[in-house]
Amino acid sequence: MTTPYEILKNENISHNYFKIKLNIPHFPTPKPGQFYQIRCSTMTDPLLRRPFSLHRLLRDGNSTHIEILYRVAGKGTEWLSRRQRGEFLDILGPFGNGFIVDEGTNPILIVARGIGIAPLYSVGEEIRKNDKKRKIFILMGARLKERTFYESECEKVGEVFLYTDDGSKGFHGRAPDLLVHLLEEKQLPEKFSLYACGPAQMLKELADLSVRFGFDGQVALEEHMGCGFGACLSCVCPLRPNYIKRNIHWGKPALQWSEDRTQVYSLICKDGPIYDIREVNWNEWNA
Amino acid sequence: MNGMPDLSVQIGRLILKNPVMPAAGTFGYGHEYEQFFDLNRLGAAIVKTITLAPRVGNFPHRSVEVPSGFLASIGLQNVGIERFIQEKLPYFDTIETPLIVSLGGQSIEEYVKLAERLNVQKRVDALELNISCPNVKKGGMHFGSDPQVTRELVTRVRDVTDKTMIVKLSPMVTDIRIFAEISQQCGAEAVSLINGLAGMSIEIKTRRSRLGRNATGGLTGPAIKPFALYLVRQVYNTVDIPVIGLGGISSAEDAIEFLIAGASAIQIGTFNFVDPTITLKVIDGIEAYLTQNRIGTLSELIGSLLEGGIGGSDA
Repeated sequence: MTTPYEILKNENISHNYFKIKLNIPHFPTPKPGQFYQIRCSTMTDPLLRRPFSLHRLLRDGNSTHIEILYRVAGKGTEWLSRRQRGEFLDILGPFGNGFIVDEGTNPILIVARGIGIAPLYSVGEEIRKNDKKRKIFILMGARLKERTFYESECEKVGEVFLYTDDGSKGFHGRAPDLLVHLLEEKQLPEKFSLYACGPAQMLKELADLSVRFGFDGQVALEEHMGCGFGACLSCVCPLRPNYIKRNIHWGKPALQWSEDRTQVYSLICKDGPIYDIREVNWNEWNA
Repeated sequence: MNGMPDLSVQIGRLILKNPVMPAAGTFGYGHEYEQFFDLNRLGAAIVKTITLAPRVGNFPHRSVEVPSGFLASIGLQNVGIERFIQEKLPYFDTIETPLIVSLGGQSIEEYVKLAERLNVQKRVDALELNISCPNVKKGGMHFGSDPQVTRELVTRVRDVTDKTMIVKLSPMVTDIRIFAEISQQCGAEAVSLINGLAGMSIEIKTRRSRLGRNATGGLTGPAIKPFALYLVRQVYNTVDIPVIGLGGISSAEDAIEFLIAGASAIQIGTFNFVDPTITLKVIDGIEAYLTQNRIGTLSELIGSLLEGGIGGSDA
């Protein structure tokens, strides 16, 4: 058995996308949608830990491994990309609520943009482990062809529909456009559960579509975090006061109401990063 | 010297078993850290600033990182005094560490009401008056940057509280010594410094503040340490009451610098987010330093800065 948080592999899979494989302790077992806080420095710059969502949970004999899929976007992730097999990382977590993985027979619709596929893949894989027949559709893409990645891996868990904003590969348009197209062309079943991760604007448009077409969904939010464990109160997400939809599997929320109860903030690190697609106050979040 | 060095320190009427405590606003309501360590080891615990009414805080997208610093605009989000007393305070009955409550208001009357309400809470050992929050529109830093207002506020809170009273000073003033002296004259038993500096960060692609609608934030973290250390030394040379030093401490060595500069105790803020067990490492590090240097009691170290060049030193 290897020591916790040892790096087993750290590879560049495409452009600035990397995948790191780590040995982790047996407990607690992370759930899809949860995240780890990784120290990406041994100095004070970069200073804060960086949050990374669980991409895959793997069991190998007596060892438990995880994979994290990440995009090199700054000093912290650049440091992480240079770490090598055999080195150790300073990690806290897993933190946050996981996705509620629907145990029914509903088909699953995954909608991702860019690195947003990282936590969603684990939802698909989790379902696939127990149910080989369940329909899983994956809408994924990026701004242009050169930015798309990971389609062949995703094809192992579901049917992939690719999009690019400029039409250089797959459907010409963005994820919400592709979803409308597929729904209108009846290429998707009438009833499905949506799991989405990507830029705020995409999630907001998906929330509008969830009302228009009447489907349920969960989203994973991304935000700068100070601590990751509910102490700094940096990562607030505004909710709709009249439509708070907390799952019983999620912990007691740390909601902060305004005195007149017209405003309510949740903590993404504690109450999220997974939210019901309609409980988020998207106008306030995107303002 | 025999045995372990004595790390205890007196702040007002409080005896702390060691000089290390977290800084207000970085330690939640305490219980957030119990998953990481035994809070009984702290010299004191401190909870985030409490206001009279609950506060939802500032707009989302409240923090960004800058080189060796944390720029954040939380806006004193808190549950308000009544919920604090009912829901948060009982947790501290499960630990024995002295408890300091930070309080903030939009008017002097609010500070007075809060102090009155907290004065009857047995579990509260000391009050820290936050007159220096850089991220609220009304009040906040205003109370700590106008000498007359500071004088009136500290005097009036002193009138209604029997608890040890600490005043947390703002670095956003021309001469911090004036505010330290006023605090002492008006009955403060200690001053803590520094609170965060106001700061900005701009995303040049969009020409917008990286804190979005909040526009500005409070700068904390290692980036502000030299400035904090300088102000601690200035205040130490000015007042007779203990100085609690904070600003960018991320190691025992940093903490020892503050003690040598004149801080009787230190607080650790932003670095709790990076390493939630940093307070314990700093306690152990200070103890090891005293042992190695054959210093029997912490008080011998406080303010022991030597003058002169370093040419002859073999360090």
